[in-house]
Amino acid sequence: MSNPWFPPSRTPPGLYRLARAFRRVSLVLLVLVLVFLASAIYSAVEVVRSGPTAGNFSAAFVSNGTVAVSGDLNFSNNGFYPISDFSVHVRVLNQSLDYLGEGSFGPITLPSGAVQPITITFHLPVGSSGPGASLLTQDQVLNVSVWGNATYAYLIPVSIAVETNKSWGAPFADLEVSVGTPFSGGGGIEVPVTIQYENHAKFDESGTLQFSVVSANGPSCGGSSFPVSVPAGSGFDQTKDVAIQSGCSPAGGTLVAAYVTNGLTIPLPPEAIP
Amino acid sequence: MRSAPPPRPIGYSVPSLGYRILAGGLRLLPLIIVLVGLPVAALTFLTTHGLHVPISILTVTVAGLAIAVLSTARYVLKPTWMYGPLSMAVSAVTIAYLLTFFFAATLDFGIPQHGISVGIGVEGVIGLLLAVPALAFAAGLVTTIEDLRSPRERLPFDYPP
Repeated sequence: MSNPWFPPSRTPPGLYRLARAFRRVSLVLLVLVLVFLASAIYSAVEVVRSGPTAGNFSAAFVSNGTVAVSGDLNFSNNGFYPISDFSVHVRVLNQSLDYLGEGSFGPITLPSGAVQPITITFHLPVGSSGPGASLLTQDQVLNVSVWGNATYAYLIPVSIAVETNKSWGAPFADLEVSVGTPFSGGGGIEVPVTIQYENHAKFDESGTLQFSVVSANGPSCGGSSFPVSVPAGSGFDQTKDVAIQSGCSPAGGTLVAAYVTNGLTIPLPPEAIP
Repeated sequence: MRSAPPPRPIGYSVPSLGYRILAGGLRLLPLIIVLVGLPVAALTFLTTHGLHVPISILTVTVAGLAIAVLSTARYVLKPTWMYGPLSMAVSAVTIAYLLTFFFAATLDFGIPQHGISVGIGVEGVIGLLLAVPALAFAAGLVTTIEDLRSPRERLPFDYPP
């Protein structure tokens, strides 16, 4: 006898339960993915709002014919999710779009809530020849490309590329030399040599400016050096009488100079003597 | 000795076709807003702000309308054998729609005046989302088999008295 308080079993058939299970799992998955997406978007907005902050920027001669440029960034991950495989690359071209140098950072992982200082260093060749030679004596606009890659919230790869122009201040901007008329000095023939330039770089210069007067035929007529102490943004204008070999004419020749500092020798582009 | 009595048949109460068409029509409106209106508004917003998204408004409109209409038809025809096949059709169109995003792989945004370009890979998220219609497709397939083997077996559970 059936009990009116307990109706017959209403257990659905197996296939019905299987279809229902698929639908329920599908719905739960959809909700989870939407919650994940919403939180990832909110989290990404927080990361973008905090943004990287620029720190120190420095440049210095580090080896023969090379300037090392370093820039610091502080990057905060204020989001809920880690930023993994985070890397940054920088490439610099001169105003003729010739390749000058590049630098990179990473890859690293920034956990949620982390503040990561990032230092990117790249070396620019500033020798007496090559595409970077004019960097020593000519202010110019450099093409700087910065691009970064990362994987955000475990699943979302993100790449950002920024192409911008940066002005470059030459450490020996507008370098000019002049050689005066030879005259009889204390022990022989001497010529007054004048060198002038502006230090438009972001670093001070301290060292020696060595030079030699080379005749049009090739042999060196003589040479000397100037002590150099030129703060960033200042000018240099000095004249020195240089003893030259008898019979050696500087007219039509070149003045070959090199900046020597901390054991490094930076050759400057040869300047024609009028 | 008497055996146990057979279980009492369970009844069901299927709404009339007219009611289902009316309810389906009312249900269609929010579906079109969610599947067509909001995505088209988002794409238009991005385009007018100079951002490029590799999915056309036409694709979003056609796919959204197709999913909304098929979903409504499935609702209206739920008491019939068409429910299972229509469930599979909705899922198949959704999978095809998501695959267009999957093969686009990267959403590229550009802000030319600032020399900035941003690429966001969507394949991981789309891969997760693809599991949703895939499971719904499996549910539709099982329901189709159930309706073929035992027509109206599910009605007491879909439309309890």
